[in-house]
Amino acid sequence: MALFSVFQTTFLLASLSLRTYQSEVWSEPLPWAPESLKVSINSTRQCLHLQWSVHNLAYHQELKMVFQIEISRIKTSNVIWVEDYSTTVKWNQVLHWSWESKLPLECAKHFLRMRSAVDDAKTPEQRFWSNWSSWEEVDGKKGGDRRPLFVFPKDKLVEEGSNVTICYVSRSQQNNISCYLEGVRMQGEQLGPNVSMFNLNHVAFIRETGTNIYCKVDQGDGIKGIVLFVSKVLEEPKDFSCETQDLMTLNCTWDPGRDTGLLKQLSQSYTLFESFSGKKTLCKHKSWCSWQVAPESQETYNFTLTAENYLRKRSVYLLFNLTHRVHPKAPFNVLFKNVSATNATMTWKVHTIGNYYTLLCQVDLYGEGKVTQHNISVKVDGEHLFGGLEPDTQYMAQVRCANANRFWKWSEWTCQNFTTAEAAPSEAPDVWRNVKSVQGDCVVTLFWKPLSKLQANGKILFYNIVIENLDRSSISKLLSIPAPANGTEVILDQCLYQIHVTANNSVGTSPASVIIVSGDPGNTEVEEERVKGTEDGFSLSWKPQPRNVTGYVVDWCDHPRDPLCDLQWKNLGPNTTSTVVSSGAFRPGVRYNFRIYGISTESVPYLLEKKTGYSQELAPSDNPQVVMSNLTSHSFTLSWKDYSTESQPSFIQGYHVYLKSKAGQCHSGWEKAVLSDDAVCCKYKIDNPKQKTFVVENLQPESFYEFLVTPYTSVGEGPHGAFTKVTTPDEYSPILIRIILPMVFCILLLMIICYLKSQWMKEKCYPDIPDPYKSSVLSLIKSKENPRLTIMNIKDCVPDSIEVLNKQEGTRKSLTETESTKPTYLYLLPTETSYSGPGPCICFENFTYNQAASDSASCGHVPVPPKAPPSQLGLLTSPENLPKSLEKNYMNSLGEIPAGETSLNYVSQLASPTSGDKSSLPTNPPEPALCSEYKMQMAIPLGLASPPSSGSSSLSSITLLEEGEHYH
Amino acid sequence: MQAQLLRRTLPSLVLGLLFLSTPAMGVCLDKYQELFGQLQKQTDIMQRTSLLLDPYIKSQGLDKDGLKEHCREHPGAFPSKDALQRLSRREFLRALHTTLGSVLHRLTALQRDVPKAQDLEMLNRAKQNIRGFRNNIHCMAQLLPDSSETTEPTPAGPATSPSPTPTSDTFQRRLEGCRFLHGYHRFMHSVGQVFQEWGESPSRSRRHSPRRGLRKGVRRVQLSRRNKRLPPRGQLPR
Repeated sequence: MALFSVFQTTFLLASLSLRTYQSEVWSEPLPWAPESLKVSINSTRQCLHLQWSVHNLAYHQELKMVFQIEISRIKTSNVIWVEDYSTTVKWNQVLHWSWESKLPLECAKHFLRMRSAVDDAKTPEQRFWSNWSSWEEVDGKKGGDRRPLFVFPKDKLVEEGSNVTICYVSRSQQNNISCYLEGVRMQGEQLGPNVSMFNLNHVAFIRETGTNIYCKVDQGDGIKGIVLFVSKVLEEPKDFSCETQDLMTLNCTWDPGRDTGLLKQLSQSYTLFESFSGKKTLCKHKSWCSWQVAPESQETYNFTLTAENYLRKRSVYLLFNLTHRVHPKAPFNVLFKNVSATNATMTWKVHTIGNYYTLLCQVDLYGEGKVTQHNISVKVDGEHLFGGLEPDTQYMAQVRCANANRFWKWSEWTCQNFTTAEAAPSEAPDVWRNVKSVQGDCVVTLFWKPLSKLQANGKILFYNIVIENLDRSSISKLLSIPAPANGTEVILDQCLYQIHVTANNSVGTSPASVIIVSGDPGNTEVEEERVKGTEDGFSLSWKPQPRNVTGYVVDWCDHPRDPLCDLQWKNLGPNTTSTVVSSGAFRPGVRYNFRIYGISTESVPYLLEKKTGYSQELAPSDNPQVVMSNLTSHSFTLSWKDYSTESQPSFIQGYHVYLKSKAGQCHSGWEKAVLSDDAVCCKYKIDNPKQKTFVVENLQPESFYEFLVTPYTSVGEGPHGAFTKVTTPDEYSPILIRIILPMVFCILLLMIICYLKSQWMKEKCYPDIPDPYKSSVLSLIKSKENPRLTIMNIKDCVPDSIEVLNKQEGTRKSLTETESTKPTYLYLLPTETSYSGPGPCICFENFTYNQAASDSASCGHVPVPPKAPPSQLGLLTSPENLPKSLEKNYMNSLGEIPAGETSLNYVSQLASPTSGDKSSLPTNPPEPALCSEYKMQMAIPLGLASPPSSGSSSLSSITLLEEGEHYH
Repeated sequence: MQAQLLRRTLPSLVLGLLFLSTPAMGVCLDKYQELFGQLQKQTDIMQRTSLLLDPYIKSQGLDKDGLKEHCREHPGAFPSKDALQRLSRREFLRALHTTLGSVLHRLTALQRDVPKAQDLEMLNRAKQNIRGFRNNIHCMAQLLPDSSETTEPTPAGPATSPSPTPTSDTFQRRLEGCRFLHGYHRFMHSVGQVFQEWGESPSRSRRHSPRRGLRKGVRRVQLSRRNKRLPPRGQLPR
């Protein structure tokens, strides 16, 4: 056993020695070792390209070999990559191998070597590695560039989300260098004394112009950087589809997906490849492409759409039969022919798709809110008949087509409108009437509702009304009312008439609507009932009629306050005894009156019931205009008979009479009420709305009251507006008025009479003083043409003597004295020398008035007091003839007249009409009654006009004086 | 966004209208004050960064801390204000014309890095405005004495060329474009200040005033071909 063990050990050692020997033998250069190694760099792709060849291969010899490649970085001992590359080597073949570096090749030197081995079954004995080739050095940087800082890789294009390694290379070790990604500092890894690398994981798309990565020397201005172009991932085209409209051209479309966000020059391209024909086309657009169908009528197509950019390639496939992808063009030349009231024929054309293709066309018809659909098979021209159409109606028809053999897609719609012809109206107009009796005639107002579009079948032009007298059937009358009138008025006598109403359009006449109007309006007294309306309308019901009725009609006015009232009606069946009348015209606060008619079998309507109501009652907005009458000290009467209860916004239930008084006490029947302004008053309630007068009684005489009459309804009473004020009179004042009024009347009558008779009284009591210059004597003198004969001027008179007479003038009093005085006359008698004949007898009557005296309107002459004092008489005589006492008195009187006060009185002269002729002067002392006399009035101050202190007033006649002149 | 767009486009529109009021290319306005006033207004508008620089910075993502600071004009890329002030009027106009010619080329190159149609349109409008402005400068130069020397503006010298070294590095191009636009607006600001000094300095104006009397014959010949509307005597500034 031990021997066996020793033998075994010896055998193993011998085998190992032999193996070692063999290995040493085969490490010698193989005849198929790699030779002519060349290494190149693709900086953009960061790839090392290695090419070599294997010599000593026989012609046409193929040998399967393994090449082991080692790559070192910075130094040869730093091996970073080992790879075995197996391939079949041919004679004279140049072999290639590439390696992509994560680190930019410019960042560090790379070294590469390789060896080979035969891995061929034909030569198993030669499976030993050759010797390593010598190291091949690769330096990515350009040798001549002496700039202090580099950043790599330049302008790299990567996909979003990928990992990127960048580095910087510095010429100087002393520099402290920082690197940034879009302004954010990066943390790197030192590769060598001058090289650092940065790994960027999952880079993101920032902008189309790329991501800026840069490194700066901390102390200095040096900055170097790169732009990393990040592309969004190229998506696979979606919805790739091809179709044809004419079997000549295929139009292929697809959805390219999201944009890669790269510059245009880096963006993806699309190519279309058809495998059966082997044709390929580069598409000009991102989402569609055209393909010319082969003329040899290839039926099946297998397309490959490829989207490709610098980083990625995406392909989609589509296999189809051309005839299954026919998308016809829209039909054209759509026309309508033989269009009648109910039928129309539609024709259209389609674009041909080969000779043996049939199209299925779908025709839709829209009209009157309905859609009908029809399918028609078409070769070239399509035709379809529409039936059952409505007359005078616009329709819209549309048609589209698809391949009938193999449906793919409908074509686009082609639309066209048409209108059917008119037809005679199909329904009789709905007619109603209103009958009034005016002066023995029957005034019938006919109303009809316009026919609906479906009933009219065209434009209604006019309405024909035939009035037929049922008593004398031969008499009929035809009226034609042009549309769009909806009523007319006819006047009938008291006969029974049947009225036919028809509507007419351009084609024909509608069926007639018949209504019978009795000559008797038949306003039977029907009790009016009240109904309560709601927002939805009025719910009306009536008793079923025992006799046969063909139906019921309810009519009302939509606008009862308008004169035209807008009569509405509703037809109801014979079995109906209730209905709800609703109208958009109903307004709150308006009373609506409804009449319910039964239509007899003879088409005679007769009134059944009357209803009235409000859709909503409102409180009265106005109070009645109240008239007050019969006001006494204890009562007055209020009346508001003009107040219409029918036109109020709700049913009037009665009235409230408010009475305010100072006493504040309410009598029986009245109740106290507090108004909105907290005023307390008495209220009387009148329950009868028809009572429109009221007597307010039990009032106090000479008291102040205020009253107000307001209606009340179920929803409230009228406004508490202004109260009317009234004051009751005194109890006795009516009696006094009965006495005083006649008295006042009498006094007024007397005053009027006096006024009317004032002229007469004046003539009787104080006639006017004649003006001598206006006297007729003057004309008489002038007629004798004696210039010397004129009215005697006082200046021309030379008094010769003065005769003083006392004349008793009865009981007349001067103004200044109350006792009777005797006038004093001074007669001037001619002297013997100056008196040449019978001269005129001049009588001076001297009246001296003061202002008060002139106003006294005393009648008759004011005579000089009979016993004038001597002092007064002396004034009127010449110095030599007059008694001195008189002169003295006169002078004293004149001397007391202050200047300027003479105007207070006046002096008037009166000439006798018979005193003009001197020859007629009497020789005897004249008598006042026969002689002309001067009534001389002289202005004297008021002081002078006062009565003398003796108490007896006496005035003297004096000569007429010029102002400021005295005659003596 | 709409307001921003309006803020960008409005000055350009105004500028366009200003150019509309000037004669078309080849026909010069011979009213000095009017032309000078227009140049001033156009300069005011063209120096606004909202017209070019701000939208560029935003679209290129350069509006970040640490990047904005590097968007500064390269020294010497554009003539400085002092250098412009030292020039005579004629030299100034020549330098302005030349520099703006280079700016036009640079803007064309910049368009390649602007992906958005909106930004492209912005650059196109800016180029149109610069062309019009150069035309006005040309006309202004003709109104100055000895205008025969300035009829054909000389190309820009290397010292005043704003064109940087071409680079394939997108980031570097982006930064250079930003610096260029910054320099352009600064340059136009300096130009505006020089124009303002022209208006404020009558003595200098007088020294460089157009010798209308001396040039009358030449101008008349030229204007009679280009513009029939001859200005009355004394309309030009003294």
